[in-house]
Amino acid sequence: MLNLQKTTPLDTDYLESLGFVWHTDSDETSYISDELLVLSEAEAEAYYEATNELYDMVVESAEHVIENNLFHDIGIPFNLVDVIKESWENDVHWHLYGRFDLAGGIDGRPIKLLEFNADTPTALFETAIIQWAMLKQDGLEESSQFNALYEALIDNFKRFVTLEEDVSAFEERYDGWDFLFTSVKGNSEEENTVRLLQHIATEAGYQTEFAYIDDIEFSAEEGISYNDKSYELWFKLIPWEDIALEESDLAMLLTNIIKNQKAIIFNPAYTLLFQSKGLLKILWDLYPDHPLLLETSFEPLEGQKQVKKPVFGREGGSVSILDADGNDLESVEGDYDNHKMVYQAYTELATDAQGLSYQAGVFYAYEACGLGFRKGGKILNNISKFVGHLVK
Amino acid sequence: MKHLTKLSTIAAATGLGALLATGVTGCTQQQQEQQQAKGAFVIIEETALGKYKIVDEFPAEETRIVLKKLDGSENVLTQAQLDALIKEEAAKVDAGTSELTQENPQASQGMGLGSTIMASMAGAMLGAWIGNKLFGNQNYQNNRKAGYKSPSTYSKSKKSFNKPRSTSSKKGGFFGGKKSSSRSGGFFGG
Repeated sequence: MLNLQKTTPLDTDYLESLGFVWHTDSDETSYISDELLVLSEAEAEAYYEATNELYDMVVESAEHVIENNLFHDIGIPFNLVDVIKESWENDVHWHLYGRFDLAGGIDGRPIKLLEFNADTPTALFETAIIQWAMLKQDGLEESSQFNALYEALIDNFKRFVTLEEDVSAFEERYDGWDFLFTSVKGNSEEENTVRLLQHIATEAGYQTEFAYIDDIEFSAEEGISYNDKSYELWFKLIPWEDIALEESDLAMLLTNIIKNQKAIIFNPAYTLLFQSKGLLKILWDLYPDHPLLLETSFEPLEGQKQVKKPVFGREGGSVSILDADGNDLESVEGDYDNHKMVYQAYTELATDAQGLSYQAGVFYAYEACGLGFRKGGKILNNISKFVGHLVK
Repeated sequence: MKHLTKLSTIAAATGLGALLATGVTGCTQQQQEQQQAKGAFVIIEETALGKYKIVDEFPAEETRIVLKKLDGSENVLTQAQLDALIKEEAAKVDAGTSELTQENPQASQGMGLGSTIMASMAGAMLGAWIGNKLFGNQNYQNNRKAGYKSPSTYSKSKKSFNKPRSTSSKKGGFFGGKKSSSRSGGFFGG
């Protein structure tokens, strides 16, 4: 049974004052659960170890894709292949952060990788800030969380300059490069996630600015500019595959900007390899029967319950759960029906007394550094709830 | 374990404590969809008696709505007709009886003229004063899509209303029409 501890709900005015404006779901219920999941130190430690191990395996698998030219196999748009290779070749294209979605790890269930949101992960604000605010409100400042996400991001921002684990040389080596942070207009969740990252980069010591994507100008020769000022570093919370499929001119410009070394872009293009659910199949090929993995194939799996999902998708769109005979048990409609699909062995998630399923999201920024949970139906959609945690 | 931390420790070592007290600077304003065109040229077709759909729409200097009726006749709605239709629809929105704000499985068959106009970009501009009541309503968002004759009309329309601008050597305006999804990731989802 899951160990849940009631808390006082955070006041919505307070949440808005923090910049967390997406506190209420479209059905008017609170997006933040008023319960904290209590886990043991050993459970937290297991998430930490598993995530670090998975990241190394993901890197090996991406290398395998590049060496064997499997971009098409895992659904990577052809117009990003150059920029992915280019970004892979040089350490300056440092991965800022990603979020592993994991089944199990609580209630005695084994940890299994569901997917890796490596390119544009959200739930950052909830994990890094909101679940601390919940403890603060209840006077639990001395209680522990597996949550060093905020300081891990400060350090990893500094590594863009130091390019090594030790960040102490940042102040000495940082030469005033300007850092631009970007989201699309009209989505306050994404915008404020980006503004939080900008805030953290500023604390790390960078000169920063924010601009919407459609206000920025791109040039293969001059790089990235906003209001007639050039930026050497650019963070965008915009999926690479959207750039490839919806703005192919931009994909070409960014490729040339990187080739001409006019700017460095975060997260780097190669994180799209990590993000593709096609990589789950490559992982299984390279690490068959690995305890942290679920069998995944490009064809339906024979004789077992499984989940069919598009290689790139959002909010559970176009995802189906199939029984052993391939019949549809449960599905979520979506815009991704035309995408390439993978078939992943089904795994039962931990559930609470209400029958809601719990999934862990472990953030990775140079190492595993923060944990949060979400609860909802068997296929997560946009009214799932964020659940904070406590380690006892 | 280095990664197991206490708020008291982390708040003392970083700006997290200050952030919990004051928030992220400049974060609190909520963004709304931006409109760049001043008006819209909209073609609406009667698909069944009293049921209408948007066939096409483009950005334009001033707003014009062309109505193709079942009998084949075509006419441009006058400002007075538009004002009256929008006023009527606004009253229905207030009363909760508008087709736009209800769960409306029949929306794909077409909606009344007032609802169809409000579903269009032109409606979003003309009726900006009732827009706030509609904007956060999920049924409105769904019905609005259904108000278009084909899904491609809807997405084309959304795109063309946010035309990218470009300069000689630099290119910009990318994703002008993009309202991307949020909360990526899922139990078995994206």
